[in-house]
Amino acid sequence: MAPVLSVENLTVSFPGRIGPMPVVEGVSLSLEAGSSLVIAGESGSGKSMICQALLGIVPKAATVTGNHILWNGRDLLEADERQWRAIRGAEIAMIFQDPTAALNPLFTVEHQISDVIRAHRRCTRSEARARTIEVLGMAGFPDAESRMKAYPSELSGGLRQRVAIALALACAPSLIIADEATTNLDVSIQAQIVRLLRRLKDELGLALIFVTHDLGLAAEIGGDLLVMYAGHAVERGPVQAVLDDPCHPYTRGLLRSAPTLSSSRANPLRPIPGQAPRPGTIGTAAPFNSRCPVAISGLCERVYPSWTEAGLGHQVACHRFAQDGRGGLP
Amino acid sequence: MTTVEARDIVKTFTVHRNGRHTVTAVKGVTLHVAPGETVGLVGESGSGKTTLARILIGIESATSGEVLYDGRPITSARDWRELRRHVQYVFQDPFTALCPTMRIGDALAEPLAIHRICPPSERRQRVTRMLDLVGLHPDVARRLPNQLSGGQRQRVNLARALMLEPRTLICDEIVSGLDVSIQAQVLQLLLDLQQRLALSLIFISHDLRVVRYLCDRVLVMYLGEVVEEGPTATVFDAPRHSYTRSLLSAIPDHSRPQSALQPDQA
Repeated sequence: MAPVLSVENLTVSFPGRIGPMPVVEGVSLSLEAGSSLVIAGESGSGKSMICQALLGIVPKAATVTGNHILWNGRDLLEADERQWRAIRGAEIAMIFQDPTAALNPLFTVEHQISDVIRAHRRCTRSEARARTIEVLGMAGFPDAESRMKAYPSELSGGLRQRVAIALALACAPSLIIADEATTNLDVSIQAQIVRLLRRLKDELGLALIFVTHDLGLAAEIGGDLLVMYAGHAVERGPVQAVLDDPCHPYTRGLLRSAPTLSSSRANPLRPIPGQAPRPGTIGTAAPFNSRCPVAISGLCERVYPSWTEAGLGHQVACHRFAQDGRGGLP
Repeated sequence: MTTVEARDIVKTFTVHRNGRHTVTAVKGVTLHVAPGETVGLVGESGSGKTTLARILIGIESATSGEVLYDGRPITSARDWRELRRHVQYVFQDPFTALCPTMRIGDALAEPLAIHRICPPSERRQRVTRMLDLVGLHPDVARRLPNQLSGGQRQRVNLARALMLEPRTLICDEIVSGLDVSIQAQVLQLLLDLQQRLALSLIFISHDLRVVRYLCDRVLVMYLGEVVEEGPTATVFDAPRHSYTRSLLSAIPDHSRPQSALQPDQA
C-alpha cells in the first residue's frame, strides 16, 4: 500500500547566535492509512516539533526544510498558508496534550465543534449539529445531544479530552496526530482514551501518530515506533520488536531507567548518567555519544551514523551496532 | 513503633456550586509509618491522597481524627512546629515550589533560620554539604531556579526538605513531571538517601510502576477511603479489591503480554 504520508529528511531549525540551530534534524518517516506510528523521546528530543511541522504550525522563527513532506501526493513543504488552512483540521488533525488549553472556555462544546465543521464544509446549522452529535458519540462522549450544551469547565478532564478528540474527528481527517494526548490524565482514563484511539484507527482507517515519553504506552498503541534523541531519530521499527530487542544504547538505557510492573529493588533502575545535549551543539556527531557507555572514540564524536538493519523493518543508527552487532551493546 | 501516625482522619470541604454542599475528601483513614519504612499512597485524582498528606503536616486541619508523632497526639501550634522539624514535605511541581527570585543557597538556608538550627555562620557550609549529598555542584547555590533543569530543581527541593535532617519525608508525586531518565536518577537518589539517613518515606503517586519499585507497603485510596492495604508485592500480585485490580490493569506496561488493555466498550 502506498503511504499517505512520507517525510524525508525533515529538519526544523531556529536562528541561533552562530547560525541555524536545528531542533529536529534529518528525520524521515512514512505512514499508511489505518496504521499507527509512535514517536517516543524525552523533553527536548524534538517530537512535538515534528508534529508542528506536519501541521504547518511551527513558531514563526523556525524554518522547516527537507527533501519532502508528501501528503497524498502533494508536497507540504511547498504549501502556502491558504493551502495549509484547507488541510489543517480537515485532512490532518491534532489532539493536544492539555484539553483545557485546547478548548475555548467561553463557548459550549457544541458551538466549538460545529464551528470547525462549518469552517471546512458548506452545510446548514442543523447538518453541522447532527455531525457534532455523531463525532461526540464516536469519541465516547455520553449523552452527546444534551451534554454538548456544556462549557468545557463543566466537564472532567477525561470528558474534555474526548471533546478534543471529537473536534479532531469533526471533518473526517485521514491523519490524527496525538501529542502526549493522555499525559495529564489518570491511568484508568488514559487506558480508555488509548483504547478509543486504537478503535477509531481500525474502524475509520485513520492513520495515527502518537507522541509519548512512556514506552509502556507505546506498546499499548502498537504499530511502528520511532525513538528520538536530541532532535535525531536513533531507532525505528515495529513497536514490539524494538521494545523486545532494543539495539540503540539510548533505547536500552531508557528501558532500563523506567520501572515496570515487574521491576523490583533487586534489579535496581540504571539511570542514564548526565543530561541530553542542548540543541545545536551536536554538529555532525552521533547525538548520544556524550552519554553513551560504548561510544567509539574517534568515530562517534565526529561522524553521524547511518541506518543499520537490525531485523525485519527494524533499523538503528549506531556505529557500535554497525561494527559489533548486539554483542557490542551495553 | 511508629514515627507519624494518622488515626481515623476525616476531612470535609464545603463547596458553593449550585448551593451549598459538603464533600468528604477523606473518610476515616488510618495510616502509620515505621522508621525506615516506605509507604506508598496510590489512587487517582480526587481520591484524597494529597489532602491526607497535607493533614499529616498540618497545612490542612482534619475535621475529625488525630495526628500522632512518636505516639503523642499533636494538638497545639507548638506541637505542629515541633512535628514539622521532623516531618518534611516535598511538593509535586519543582517549578512552583521554589521562589523564583531567591537564590538556591538562600532557599536551602531558610529552614535552618526558621527553626534556628545552627549559628548563621554555619549555614553556608551545611548548604554545600547538602548540595553534595543530592549530587549537585556547590555552584548551584548561587543560581536562581530558572537557571536549573526540572531534574535539578527536584533535587533542590529534596535538599531543602532534608536540611532539617527530618526522620520522615512526604513525597507528593515528586517524579511524575520528570523525564524517564531523570525520574530514574531521582528515584535512585531517594533510595540512596533513605538508606544513608534511615528516613521513613510516605510516597504519593499515581504511577503504580514507580510505587512497586520503591515501596515496602502500599495503601490504595478510592474516593477518600483506603480500599486495600498491604505489603507491595502482595497487593500488586494478588489484589483483592476490584478497584486495585482495575487500576493495575490500566497501567501501560511493555513487560506484560500484548494487548492487555481490553477493547473499548464505550
